Amino acid sequence: MDSLTPRMPTSAQAKRRRRDIRRSWPEKLFDVCNYTLFVLLGLSTLLPFVNLLAKSLSSEAAVVAGRVNLLPIDLQLGTYRYVLEDDAFMGALRVSLLLTVLGTALSLLVTTLTAYPLSKPRLAGRKWLLLIFIFTMLFSGGLIPTYLLMHNLHLVNTLPALFLPSMVNVFNMLVIKNYFEGLPDSLEESAKLDGAGHIRILLSIYLPLSLPVLATIALFFAVFFWNDYFNAMIYISTPSLKPLQLFLKELLVSSSDFLRNATLNPDQALNTAPQSIQAASILLATVPILLVYPFLQKYFVKGVLVGSVKE
Amino acid sequence: MTNRNPHSATAPQPSRRSVCKNIRADRELYLLLLPGIAVLLLFKYTPMYGVLIAFKDYSIFDGMGGSPWVGMDNFRKLFESDDFLLVLRNTVEISLLKLVFLFPLPIIAAILLNELRQLAFRKAVQTVIYLPHFLSWIIISGLFIDLLSINGGLVNKLLGSFGIEPIPFFLSNAYFRGVLVTTAGWKETGWSTIVYLAAFSTIDPGLYEAARMDGAGRWKRIWHVTLPGISPVIVLMLILRLGSMFTGDTEQILAMYNSTVYKSSDIIGTYVYRMGLGKQEYSFTTAVGLFESVIGFALILSGNYLSRKYLRRGIW
Repeated sequence: MDSLTPRMPTSAQAKRRRRDIRRSWPEKLFDVCNYTLFVLLGLSTLLPFVNLLAKSLSSEAAVVAGRVNLLPIDLQLGTYRYVLEDDAFMGALRVSLLLTVLGTALSLLVTTLTAYPLSKPRLAGRKWLLLIFIFTMLFSGGLIPTYLLMHNLHLVNTLPALFLPSMVNVFNMLVIKNYFEGLPDSLEESAKLDGAGHIRILLSIYLPLSLPVLATIALFFAVFFWNDYFNAMIYISTPSLKPLQLFLKELLVSSSDFLRNATLNPDQALNTAPQSIQAASILLATVPILLVYPFLQKYFVKGVLVGSVKE
Repeated sequence: MTNRNPHSATAPQPSRRSVCKNIRADRELYLLLLPGIAVLLLFKYTPMYGVLIAFKDYSIFDGMGGSPWVGMDNFRKLFESDDFLLVLRNTVEISLLKLVFLFPLPIIAAILLNELRQLAFRKAVQTVIYLPHFLSWIIISGLFIDLLSINGGLVNKLLGSFGIEPIPFFLSNAYFRGVLVTTAGWKETGWSTIVYLAAFSTIDPGLYEAARMDGAGRWKRIWHVTLPGISPVIVLMLILRLGSMFTGDTEQILAMYNSTVYKSSDIIGTYVYRMGLGKQEYSFTTAVGLFESVIGFALILSGNYLSRKYLRRGIW
């Protein structure tokens, strides 16, 4: 009994050390299963892309015959050349790029300008102002009244219809506001002593210190504008103003018609967009997302953390 | 908004001159706020006034003022309409399906991700599974139309090798909801782990150490330390999810559905879009939209109430 007491901690330590170095077999089994699970999960995320890539690089005959799985058959690059030389695709791409750049720049500007005053606790009426903003997250007039407003403002069939209403994103504004609130007050005070106004303080002190969160929010805006098809579907019918996502949607509609006719005769098949070309169009529309994704990835996790788990 | 100086009580007694200076400085703050407020009033609050057409028989030629009032007629029509009852049921059912099948996934995934010791592998997995969140529903629709096609789609080929007849996933009322739930899970599960992973970092590492000292294995540590540690976040996410029960699926369904699956998957949002803009039934669909907004609002408010009560923390 006596000898047991002093030995206790050392044996526990030894046991722990042993577990750290050489884990028991259930633990090993768990690890093997866990790693396998995530490899499968990763693959299942990538699989649809690989499948589509293979189709876009295969001959239309092989695709229609349903012979393409994960590797291209009768490798060709013609589909990509076709899509990149297609005026409708390139036009839609240009509209999307313009919309994304304009929309992101303006939204980031207005959202940041709004976040700054609201981050000042001494602002008179701050509580009410915040409530006015937050209320729009909880309640909306709905699709039809908004459409009728845009109609009355003669914004239907114009590009501004796609970015003006989204210029203040309240959620993003709150994220930036929270970040601003976390910056030390002394920065503002000392700048004020030097005679700097709020605009100067915002531009030369707050903005440089908030680059990670602003980069994150810019990414969110850019992704939103690039991906938005819903607003375009509502407000845009002029073909030359249709952004890429809407263009793709219309391309896909022909494909779901394609699916509907399970017993399809070859004449009908000719009327639909060739599947390999559809595949190439979809993948090309994904490229911009893939390009910005890794650059901003290190920022956005940090940014989301700032916004969601602030405590 | 008035420009009175708000901080005279707290600030160290300022001279008259600096008070004036502060008011001037504050005016600058309101100036910065102006564009945001203008956008909000015009594009968010004007349509809220516009919902009044739900109580009118609106015609686009007569405008808001010229159209006659009809009281609750549109709402009476609403509850007598089979279409509306169908889309209401679909909305709730699809939302519940997603809640039941998809809500637990990111929690499980986050816990398991946390158990990966190889940091490089973990980062790689995260990079891959976050990606679909950033793709539009159009792209995802395109990916899955191909994958699930009956003409050589990979999934049907796989099923075929087991002797199963090809399933027209996008055209079958029995399967289309499954497609909706699966693709939503494919798109958002990875991304949704972020908030739970963040919550892990708030758990005191000493608790794990203590549990280990007491001989708790991996499962016990997950069960007794990790889960209780992130449970406030889980409850918060659940409340937020309940609050958005009525919205949020429209963009997905509008991108993926077609007339053959209206019966199982036409929801309020898609119905308003088709009837309102397609058939110009402005007043009726505004009533439908208003119904949706009011229910959504009530759900969010009750969610916030619950959150305040049980978590001592409001959603906003």
